[in-house]
Amino acid sequence: MDNVIFIISALLTVTGALCVLLTKNVMHACVYLLTCLLGVAGLYVTLGADFVAATQLAVYVGGVVILMVFAVMLTGGPTSQSSNKFGIVKVPMMGNAKTYIIGIISAVIFALMAYKVLSRIIISIQAGELPAFTETVEKIGFMLVTDHVLAFEISSVLLLGALVGAAIIARPRRGV
Amino acid sequence: MNNTIVSYLSQFESYKGLLESFSSMFGEAGPGLLTFLVFLIGCILVVTVLATIGGLGTYAERKISADMQARMGPNRVGPYGLLQFLADGVKMFLKEDLIPNKADKFIFGLAPLLALVGVFGTLAVLPFSSGFTLANLNVGVFYLIGIGSLVGVAIFLGGYASNSKWSMLGGMRGASQIISYEIPVVLSLMAIVLMSGSLNFGGLVGAQGGLPQEWFIFHNPFTFIGFFVFFIGALAETNRAPFDLPEAESELVSGYHTEYSGMRFAFFALAEYIEVFVVCGVGAAAFLGGYNVPLNLGGEGILGQVLQILVFFGKTLALYYLVIMIRWTYPRLRVDQLMTLCWKYLTPMAIFNLIGCALWIYLLDGKSVWDMLAAFVGSMGTGGGH
Repeated sequence: MDNVIFIISALLTVTGALCVLLTKNVMHACVYLLTCLLGVAGLYVTLGADFVAATQLAVYVGGVVILMVFAVMLTGGPTSQSSNKFGIVKVPMMGNAKTYIIGIISAVIFALMAYKVLSRIIISIQAGELPAFTETVEKIGFMLVTDHVLAFEISSVLLLGALVGAAIIARPRRGV
Repeated sequence: MNNTIVSYLSQFESYKGLLESFSSMFGEAGPGLLTFLVFLIGCILVVTVLATIGGLGTYAERKISADMQARMGPNRVGPYGLLQFLADGVKMFLKEDLIPNKADKFIFGLAPLLALVGVFGTLAVLPFSSGFTLANLNVGVFYLIGIGSLVGVAIFLGGYASNSKWSMLGGMRGASQIISYEIPVVLSLMAIVLMSGSLNFGGLVGAQGGLPQEWFIFHNPFTFIGFFVFFIGALAETNRAPFDLPEAESELVSGYHTEYSGMRFAFFALAEYIEVFVVCGVGAAAFLGGYNVPLNLGGEGILGQVLQILVFFGKTLALYYLVIMIRWTYPRLRVDQLMTLCWKYLTPMAIFNLIGCALWIYLLDGKSVWDMLAAFVGSMGTGGGH
């Protein structure tokens, strides 16, 4: 009974992710990604990280997926007989010897990086008890403007730069 | 801890008795099952009531528009035509479920459901009364903004999947409009969050009082402007006139739901009308004192809860009436005017309000205008003697 939310979220995440990989339609992949991201939000909820879960909803579900769909729609389109209007349907064999070798090397490097990051967690793996539920919002708020104020400011400047850059790119050029 | 309807009910003796009987019947799983049942009943209740309000919204829209244009409006089905929306529902059921030939069938079917899911998801945190809130999450405002943006995805996907230029244009307009207007809406809500120091709706409403001078809208000049920024932005976010460009009838036939028929169309329409209610509810909770009953009539008991629900619905439906009236009063904006209004006027105003509220809290201890006025008048009265 306690694990119901976890099981639902995990199923959503895993099936969503698998469908993203297995579908050949880019638009459908975006929709499956939506379920995957909703599932991840559910996983955060089961871990008691309510603020992170709400952020996941607001940022990814509301923002990133719409942007992805926009990008797919504006860039995609019928280019040849092998694809239909929704994206790629018939994919020609993409690999040759060179791409496969590069793929294997990058996979090994990525696996080593993942191992390096995860090894400490894997070694000391044990079914732990979740700490009692506490409000994370206030703590995150205090941490953001005290201990991590530099990171907070740098990321806000970065976002402002992105905003200004986007505005400059999108500005209509007069007299050209 | 998050307050929910369960934590409110669990203070009553009868609920404890029910809990014990459930524990004896189902053993370990008893309390969990009872919690689930309470939530299930609460959700069914809220969704049913809100779906009915959404249906009645379509009736109210027609009736009010008829009133403003000196017509009769629907008056055949039921008393005063009140059951018109049920007749419409039956009609929708019987319509042929058309799917255009080259539509993306999967997304075409999914989009109306996604719109309903997004809207029903927001109902979870809507504060109907201090006890009857399904879940008073401590990130409630943030959650509502996040889950509510699913509607934008749904409108866009619906427009895309129909494989029609009108739908496509409507969907693109809808998505860009919703993303843009989210900024002024969220920033003006943020000012209220700043004033109350809480991200949950319970805290938001609890920081206000029952009488108008205790509401946040009349708290200081910045929140007063903030309410109108919020309201205009909310109109645009719910695709209501004068911002109904995504479904502009004169240019796009019916916008993103041009190709939809039958129940799928009804889902989109229902989602829109419930979303208007939700947005009005958020406005009522954040700016107009929410469920606070004037002078705390009714107390803490059941009567108080009923009065709170009535007050909340009253304020929300008053805003709803305003939304419908605006639709039948103002002409539609052009796309460039829409974006100009959002980015050149509303967003700077919202940022100005946010900074203003922050300064107000910092410099004036967050006292409302009325408090200071009362203190001033008081000092005049007593200070005149010496």
